[in-house]
Amino acid sequence: MSTVYLDNAATTPLRREVRAEMEAVFAERWGNASSRHRRGVAARELLDRARERVARTVGARPEHVVFTSGGTEANNLALRGLTRRREARSIWIGPTEHASVRACAEALAGDGLELRRGQLDARGDLDLARLEGDLDEGTALVAQLLVSNEFGTIYDLPRAAALVRARAPHALLHVDAVQAAGKLALSLFELGADSLSLSAHKIGGPQGIGALVLARELPLEPLIHGGGQEGGLRSGTENLAGAVGLGKALELAESERARTFERLSELRRALRAGLERIEGLELLELGDPDRQQPGILAVLVPGAPAEVWLHHLDARGVVVGVGSACQANKRETSPAFAAAGLSEDRARRVLRLSLSGANTEEEVARAIAALEEVAAELATL
Amino acid sequence: MKPLASLSAPEMVLVRYGELGLKGKNRGSFEHALIRNMRAAAKPIAEVRVERKRGRMAVFAEARVAEVARRLQDVPGIKSVSPAWGCEAEPEAIAELARQVLHEALRDRPADEETSFRVKTSRADKRFPMTSTELDRYVAERALPGLERMRVDLSQPAMRLEIEVRPERAYVFVQRFPGPGGLPVGTLGRAMCLLSGGIDSPVAAYLAMKRGCQVSYVTFHSYPYIGEASKKKVLDLVRRLSRYQPRSRVFVVPFTEIQTTIRDRAPEPYRTVLYRRFMQRLASRLAHRDHCKALLTGESLGQVASQTLENMTCIEAAAALPVLRPLLTFDKEEAINLAQRIGTYDLSILPEPDCCTVFMPSRPIIHGRVEACEEAEAELGVEALVERALEGTERIDIAGDA
Repeated sequence: MSTVYLDNAATTPLRREVRAEMEAVFAERWGNASSRHRRGVAARELLDRARERVARTVGARPEHVVFTSGGTEANNLALRGLTRRREARSIWIGPTEHASVRACAEALAGDGLELRRGQLDARGDLDLARLEGDLDEGTALVAQLLVSNEFGTIYDLPRAAALVRARAPHALLHVDAVQAAGKLALSLFELGADSLSLSAHKIGGPQGIGALVLARELPLEPLIHGGGQEGGLRSGTENLAGAVGLGKALELAESERARTFERLSELRRALRAGLERIEGLELLELGDPDRQQPGILAVLVPGAPAEVWLHHLDARGVVVGVGSACQANKRETSPAFAAAGLSEDRARRVLRLSLSGANTEEEVARAIAALEEVAAELATL
Repeated sequence: MKPLASLSAPEMVLVRYGELGLKGKNRGSFEHALIRNMRAAAKPIAEVRVERKRGRMAVFAEARVAEVARRLQDVPGIKSVSPAWGCEAEPEAIAELARQVLHEALRDRPADEETSFRVKTSRADKRFPMTSTELDRYVAERALPGLERMRVDLSQPAMRLEIEVRPERAYVFVQRFPGPGGLPVGTLGRAMCLLSGGIDSPVAAYLAMKRGCQVSYVTFHSYPYIGEASKKKVLDLVRRLSRYQPRSRVFVVPFTEIQTTIRDRAPEPYRTVLYRRFMQRLASRLAHRDHCKALLTGESLGQVASQTLENMTCIEAAAALPVLRPLLTFDKEEAINLAQRIGTYDLSILPEPDCCTVFMPSRPIIHGRVEACEEAEAELGVEALVERALEGTERIDIAGDA
């Protein structure tokens, strides 16, 4: 029997259509996009087309798309690259940012920039009043996630952006949109963002490629120096197949977005209904119930740590996540849980189920059955 | 353009167009062209519906209206755009929305700045319970409280808060963002632009488009003395320029034989002038095929040897059509500034040679004579060279991307 994969927030399988385009690059259309001969020019043309696809999806100009090795690099490039200005005094990061934003911000704080962190309000939503209070003339950058990879909350970026414009006139707003792509409309303009980061492997594309997209010409200092590719912003021979894969994955995700959102909502309803009936399981839905990325569902499991549940489920062919995958190898729990008011003990009992448009009702039913079994088994401990 | 984000999204874009108002009989076809071009420009963002009313247009889209508004700022023929917020066509709702819009629009104003505004209502619905003037006053009274150092000025207001009342809905707008002005592309004929990868010719193309010309392009390619990257650069410039013109046609003319023939059999100082004469001939022939009534170049006076008046005369003598030179009197800096504004500069400065060094004269003639050109050409077999180049010409149709 095949496994039920419910860890799509960690990574997703490569889509057939994406793979086909990438294979064409590997087989025939390979080349170095900077080479002067026809193969090289053809490779550059392919790269430009991929760039246009990315740009179009988020309403940006192609010349403002920088291909990176993934969401982590894109976040690092934004945070480091946009704050190398003399008058930069502080940066502000959201309470539930991904590790790449947190760690980079902490490194910058080590270099002398003041780091301010946001909070969640009582409902588990972004505390906008607190954000407003934290902003001032010296704020150089605000990094706020659009969709939490741990809870699925969709944060009110347009309102946050308005506050940033009003209170921190010199600040740039960077939005990590990695978990939002393919589920939410991503318009830089409507979000009010100055930059956003994307990652291919969360939307059926390959691992190892992402993008930082700028809303306009911005003074960005590169992290990686070398031959001057990506307009000098990210040197290194371009990952041609990867870029093609990202462009295709994004294009597909965007064209299917409305349907995907509905489908995920249906599946979530079924999953939720099943989870609610399991004794001891507590759904962790933070923020505005009308603003949830339907594919991500966090639950507090009783009795044993979440990782124990994970292995029990895995043994039954149901694959889920614990906290965030990045934390899965570490002993500490994510600061996002602390921000959500969860104690250490409760934080260790957070299981994350993340759906994709490819999951079926039957799979959801199997997952629920497996959870019921595991609940029963662990209850006897 | 910054969206007024604390309000919900705008619903409509009010479009003002300039000279069209002067055109009388031609107004219909100009408006038609503008609507077509707006729809094409907005297409990658959203499907739009356009309504014409009293010398202005209202553009509706299901979503991403603010982005559509920004995109329309690049459509020639448009003087300005205003993203508009909607509400029930009822005085209290209108006043409340107007108050929010005005407050939000003034948010970034320096604290001590005094300014003035007036309300201007257009009523398409005569059944509305107030007259336009009554609504102006009603809204102004409710918008003013809470606004410091703000007064109503009916004659020369700094800001105009406009209201459009229609039967089913009312719209409020106050921001005005400039468009390129000019005339809709396609309304004033077709021109053939000689496009190199340099800074000037794309700017010339833009200026012609802005004045309503549909611009086709011809470019000359001497492969294998020049690589494919040069050709790609020119095509990328055409794509970049399609922000302003939805569809474009490019003719790529093989120029190698002509250049090698001139290099081998004509006087060296005259090389560049002779190359350019052939370009004018070829461009004229292609213009004829493509129903263009004029050639278009980025030439300006005096910059390089081939741009002295004498040399320009020699070159132009080979053209069969009028040659338009929008940049004739521009300084280099002016051309660069405009190139930056229209988004072609960063592409133009990519270092791709458009003429191989082996073809360049070491001491180009500064004050050429037409007779000398004709004498040199007599030996070359001009007609046959032109025919062969035309035969090998590639035609590429390019549709715009965002």
